[in-house]
Amino acid sequence: MEKPSWTPIVLSGALPREATDLLAILVMGIVALEASLAATGPTVFSSRLWLSLLVVPPTCALASVSTTTRRTREELALFAYGGSGWQILLRYFIRGAIIALVAFSPVLLQGFLMTTSILELVATAFVLLFAGGLFYSLPSLRRIRSSSFVENYKS
Amino acid sequence: MPSMIETRSVVVEYPTVKGVLRLYDQGVSLKLEQGDFLAVLGGSGWGKSTLVNVILGLEKPIHGSVCFLDHDVTRESFVKRCNLVKTAAVFQRPTALPQMTVSQNLHLALSLAGVPRKERDERIKEALAFFGLDKIERSYPDGLSAGQRRRIDLARALAVKPELLVIDEPTGDLDGSATNLLIPLLRGLNRNQGTTIFMTTALPRQASQAKHQVHLRPPLYLTPENRMIGD
Repeated sequence: MEKPSWTPIVLSGALPREATDLLAILVMGIVALEASLAATGPTVFSSRLWLSLLVVPPTCALASVSTTTRRTREELALFAYGGSGWQILLRYFIRGAIIALVAFSPVLLQGFLMTTSILELVATAFVLLFAGGLFYSLPSLRRIRSSSFVENYKS
Repeated sequence: MPSMIETRSVVVEYPTVKGVLRLYDQGVSLKLEQGDFLAVLGGSGWGKSTLVNVILGLEKPIHGSVCFLDHDVTRESFVKRCNLVKTAAVFQRPTALPQMTVSQNLHLALSLAGVPRKERDERIKEALAFFGLDKIERSYPDGLSAGQRRRIDLARALAVKPELLVIDEPTGDLDGSATNLLIPLLRGLNRNQGTTIFMTTALPRQASQAKHQVHLRPPLYLTPENRMIGD
């Protein structure tokens, strides 16, 4: 008999290959890119803000998929109580929008104090809310529409 | 008068590693009239829960149709079916929302069912007392036993006072005393309040308590060879 080895355990899961790993890489990559551009890139407020906004979709998606088991239970319960798919999606859309708004409130406040164009700031806030809500609710839409979702009602 | 529910030649198929699993090879055709109490009896894996899902609109059959009050609702959602017949469902797995207390879960279900706010407290109090949940009404479902969570689902479904109660293996997680209580309760609901009940069970003794029974047949596995013969 061969001596038991610990390497298969490590090697079978050491490389990042799940969707959540990719999302985490994306978030950190965007932050790192922004940090490196801060020294050498343009200093105009709006261009820096738009770069920051890129972090919203992967972060919201990451937050949404990180508690899939619990969320599936919530969705099953809401359906059983007579809720509909769009109500559940709206619930997550609003949550994602709030997350993005709260996280970016310092930047938006700074923009409000500095910018000359209120229209641009409103557009930025709208994009922020929409991106946050959309990417927070998309994983839920995928779960609800999957054929395996209702299998969870069975024992 | 139209049947409350009618299924016509419903067949469901699932792809599996062994081939296509075909449930109800001959097709399930049944009628549920207002005030009926129907038990669907079958073994494990024969499609009892799938039939519940098909009736609720959570799964779509590959053949056949489902009608609520003569309206073809085969492709309609659970919510749209509820608009035709006020339906409450109790699934095999407990479904209470984990972040809400027992009482809050019932409140949410009643508000989604459109029960007026002033009626809710009374109905919830009654349902919780009936199922012996009044002492744990402020507890969260995750801290409770499987049997208690099953009773939350039952309390939630009955508090809505549905016209149709769809209940999948009702005594699955219940202990002996609760089981003995439940079937007479369902019969009482059916007899006294006229609630139409669709129940699945693997126990012939339980099925015999219903007014009517439907016996499912074992599923078939269709391999490419026998599918061609069958077709």
